[in-house]
Amino acid sequence: MTHSEPRAGQSAARGLNDKSIRNLFIFPTIAFLIIFNIFPLLFSLYTSFTDFRASTNAPANWVGLENYSYLLTNEFIWRNFTITAKYVLISVTGQVVVGFGLAMLLNRYMPFKGLITTLLLLPMMLSMAVVGLFWKLLYDPNFGIINHSLGLGKFEWLANPDMALWAVAITDIWMWSPFVMLLSLAGLSAVPKHLYEAAEIDRAGTFYTFFRITLPLVAPILMIAIIFRTMEAFKTFDLAYILSSQPTTELIAIRLYKMAFLEWQTGLSSAFAYIVLVMVVGITMIYVKYLNKVKER
Amino acid sequence: MAEIEIRNIGKFFGPVEVLKDVSMTIADGEFVVMLGESGCGKTTTLRAIAGLESVTSGKILIDGEEVQDKKASERDIAFVFQSFSLYPHMTVYENIAFPLRAVRMNASDRQAAVKEVAEILRIEPLLNRKPSALSGGDMQRVAIGRALVRRPKALLMDEPIGALDATLREQMRAEIKRLHISRGSTSVYVTHDQIEAMSLADRIVIMNDGILQQIGAPEEVYLRPANLFVAQFVGSPVMNVTDVALEGGDGGASVMIGGDKQGFHFPGQVVGHLNGAPLSLGIRPEAVLLSHDAAHGAIEVETTNVEPLGSHDIVDVRVGETVLRSRTEAGFVSGEGQKVWVGLDPLQAHFFDRDSGQALRGAN
Repeated sequence: MTHSEPRAGQSAARGLNDKSIRNLFIFPTIAFLIIFNIFPLLFSLYTSFTDFRASTNAPANWVGLENYSYLLTNEFIWRNFTITAKYVLISVTGQVVVGFGLAMLLNRYMPFKGLITTLLLLPMMLSMAVVGLFWKLLYDPNFGIINHSLGLGKFEWLANPDMALWAVAITDIWMWSPFVMLLSLAGLSAVPKHLYEAAEIDRAGTFYTFFRITLPLVAPILMIAIIFRTMEAFKTFDLAYILSSQPTTELIAIRLYKMAFLEWQTGLSSAFAYIVLVMVVGITMIYVKYLNKVKER
Repeated sequence: MAEIEIRNIGKFFGPVEVLKDVSMTIADGEFVVMLGESGCGKTTTLRAIAGLESVTSGKILIDGEEVQDKKASERDIAFVFQSFSLYPHMTVYENIAFPLRAVRMNASDRQAAVKEVAEILRIEPLLNRKPSALSGGDMQRVAIGRALVRRPKALLMDEPIGALDATLREQMRAEIKRLHISRGSTSVYVTHDQIEAMSLADRIVIMNDGILQQIGAPEEVYLRPANLFVAQFVGSPVMNVTDVALEGGDGGASVMIGGDKQGFHFPGQVVGHLNGAPLSLGIRPEAVLLSHDAAHGAIEVETTNVEPLGSHDIVDVRVGETVLRSRTEAGFVSGEGQKVWVGLDPLQAHFFDRDSGQALRGAN
């Protein structure tokens, strides 16, 4: 349908046609995308090859790959990466074990199952900053309930360089295990009950049934949960930042923040961000490849 | 192989009583088919034997050993599900080998056993495929293969071919029979299809409303149904059942149908044992004999409907207020509204107590 120059009143009376809907919705979206996503992405790519500092008025000088080579050879940066890798491993493993375990427990008949499931999901709905603040209190060596209930006396969690990362990871596990639980629960309840009956008839034991039937059938959806949690854990900032200021908990996101906004090394931190981006994409691709393999089975 | 005995089992699902005092003995090597409408308790009985369902009361014995409190895995029984229940993430080979791996049989024995079963079921070319790449018939072959591979004490099948189309069903029926004859395994088979039941069974168990109605060889349940339910459930087209009145004595009696004044004469040895209680007469369509000429003892009636079925016709005739269905040769009458003579074969007549539905039979 084509209108020859519809007047304002006329078009309002007839409602919007396809073309004006397109103009109204698509173009602003594209404009926003360009202004807030695409331009910063490209601009930061450019600045990553310069010595640009956002805090000064000095013009940016092209330095080529210098930022990248500096970052990739700097042992302090590598320490940040190692810490992050360790954190991701502890945190995601913990979430999968706890989350999947809870899902297994919930995936059977029990009274108040819906209520229990909802309550278990609560940590996930809280703000990271709030969680960080009250876990700081829970970990407190003098009056924290964790030491009190575990009988650990005045055990230092957050001030202890060896324990601080674990403390942050434990908090993350507490907060995000419900997410893994939720997806696992969906996966578990999708396994047909008659397969378990068949396995029972085939005289398969509990462990054999779990590893040969349950796990392979839940694997694809569990994989998705792991992908999400790995990406999130990789870029964790707020929880670690609020809980601890130990050098042993300086994750790459924190280092990046300091580099960009405390030290104002804008060019260098852009390069750093790109390295992190490539790593996250790389890890995700490995997972996705594995996910497709699992799905094929 | 084993003998299975069920003693007075009962089962409640919540407040609903689904099995009421069911007892039967299945002999070693016997093929028993449980027949009934959906919800009659046949599948529950089968699942109770397998251990997939607990019983509320009663005992289940396999080879004389009480198993009602044992888990399914401890009963050494195989089960073929209606939904096949193949493991979707495993190949056909892995599916069949699963019960052997589960009990840690060594690899070479396992391979030999799977190969043997695959040969019997003619599924060797499919061993590397996933279940999703199989046709319905092949899926069921694999499911049966998985059940047979470990030589269980008994093979239980829950409507195993119910999900297949008609041609395939016929073919699989023959295959299951062949398999049973070659293996001689004690088999219990659940179906709602009476043709399957008649063609496969050594004995048929007919159930209704959680109550066992009759156990017997296929010809026995067909020729001597124990009650009205069995009489009307077995046989196609359905047996004619109508209320009748009897007039006469030991020398024979006149059987009046549908208020018709002229009765059919039944000899004394057929009706002599009837004691005057209200009666229902059951007579199969093949025992309702039509003729174009006035035969002795026949009544002149009019046809009301004709169903041509190719090999034979089903003709409805009106006797008094009642419609009787008769099986005739194809093209015996050309349509409704024709005059024919109808007679009944007294030797194929069944009398039932109208109130209890129980068959009333003489000494013979």
